Amino acid sequence: MRSKHIFMLVSRISLVIGGLALLVLLGTQAGRASAATPAYIRVIHASPAVGTADVFVDGNLLLSSFAFGSVTDYVPLPAGPHKVQIALVGKGIGASVITQTLAVQPGFVYTAAAIGSQATGLSIEVFFDNNILVAGQAKTRIYNLSPDAGSFNVSANGNTILNQINYQQASNYTSLAAGSYTFSFVASGTNTNLPLAITLAKNTVTSIFAVGMANGSPKIELVPSQVNGVPGVPSTGSDPRPLPSIDTVQSQGLALWLLSIVASLFIGAGIIFRRKAIISG
Amino acid sequence: MGTSSMRHIRNTCAVLISAVVLFLAACGSISTAREASILEPPERVNAGVANSSTVKSTPASADATLPVRLSVPAIGINALIEQVGILPNGDMATPAQNPWVDSGWYSEGPRPGERGSAVIDGHLDRPGGYPAVFWNLRTIRVGDAVFVTKKDGKQLRFHVTRIAYYMPQNAPLQDIFGNRSSAFLNLITCAGDWIPNQHQTTLRLVVYTELG
Repeated sequence: MRSKHIFMLVSRISLVIGGLALLVLLGTQAGRASAATPAYIRVIHASPAVGTADVFVDGNLLLSSFAFGSVTDYVPLPAGPHKVQIALVGKGIGASVITQTLAVQPGFVYTAAAIGSQATGLSIEVFFDNNILVAGQAKTRIYNLSPDAGSFNVSANGNTILNQINYQQASNYTSLAAGSYTFSFVASGTNTNLPLAITLAKNTVTSIFAVGMANGSPKIELVPSQVNGVPGVPSTGSDPRPLPSIDTVQSQGLALWLLSIVASLFIGAGIIFRRKAIISG
Repeated sequence: MGTSSMRHIRNTCAVLISAVVLFLAACGSISTAREASILEPPERVNAGVANSSTVKSTPASADATLPVRLSVPAIGINALIEQVGILPNGDMATPAQNPWVDSGWYSEGPRPGERGSAVIDGHLDRPGGYPAVFWNLRTIRVGDAVFVTKKDGKQLRFHVTRIAYYMPQNAPLQDIFGNRSSAFLNLITCAGDWIPNQHQTTLRLVVYTELG
């Protein structure tokens, strides 16, 4: 009887210590899982066929009285598919003229453009954006959202920077020195020549949207939108090797291994003693 | 009780006692690493930092809303805030005046309390692996309070909403630096293992907080 009590006691102590070691071990690894990262999306109203509109996402009103040529800020949106509906202002979601499901990925950045005329049909065109800054420079991107202007060649201060930007296309990003510029958008097929004077600040990303009708109403125009570029994440670690005598990082790794071994040892011993207790009882 | 049983119990107890010693040693190692003083670095490391105990980091400015001190009571962080900008490679810079004890506010972005994502970084460790200002950031929990004191003495309170680890090339930069849907303050430091040929660690820890 006495040996049974001893076995049971040692068994319980072993299991408790082993369990505690496991908890400590798991506790040190907690928080590693990445939390839900949203996507970021902005919306531009570039459809000449749709007047001032309301925009609904997943049945909820996101934008009210959204005028032609307007661009929103980037807003976070949970990753996954979303039903986007656009209706004339005040008409309600049931009167939507565009209904489209957009699937957005975590961490990605998008421009969603409501585009199209009666002739081309209405839709939402989605572009992947890249707002990572170029240090000391100004990034620029051109979006051709005019249904009837044709292909654009673009110059800045008289120097051609982009060629053949077709309808529903966005250009590559162009890095320019910060400063004042006069852009010129030329669509030779439709004798369109649109100037835009703008100051490009360093570390920014400027989008220039061509929206509207070359032959019709609302008239074609250039809509600029400038946002601060985002930097890369900083490097805030240090080389642990120059002073190896007290390498806390490595010692912590060693400690975790020791914890693992100790946890296994105690739990194993606990099980053995429990069996002995049962046998001797 | 037989002699062999007693010997067996003695042997087992000896093994368990040894294991307890190992266990305590392991816990002691972790505890030592975590509790190492941030503000009192080893002398040989501190020797390279000029006047680290007396230099005040905030540049002269009359602007009352500049952030000057970061405090996270739950994990023992209490640091001056330097202004930092952008490195030539496009990455956010780190504190330059007192790199191991100060934190760095990204002055190209919004100020803490303004609409948008204010960002403050801090070193995880010093050369040799000694703890630096954000050594304990890994132990912060969702809901913990983060305080920023402005130059006029007013204090802003933020609370932790999310904690995430990212590989630097996959970090959601717009989420970290460009969320304008409220007033955020995001804290960044390094995590993971050191990569000698890249001179950086494998991960970044981002603590997302929101005003209020």
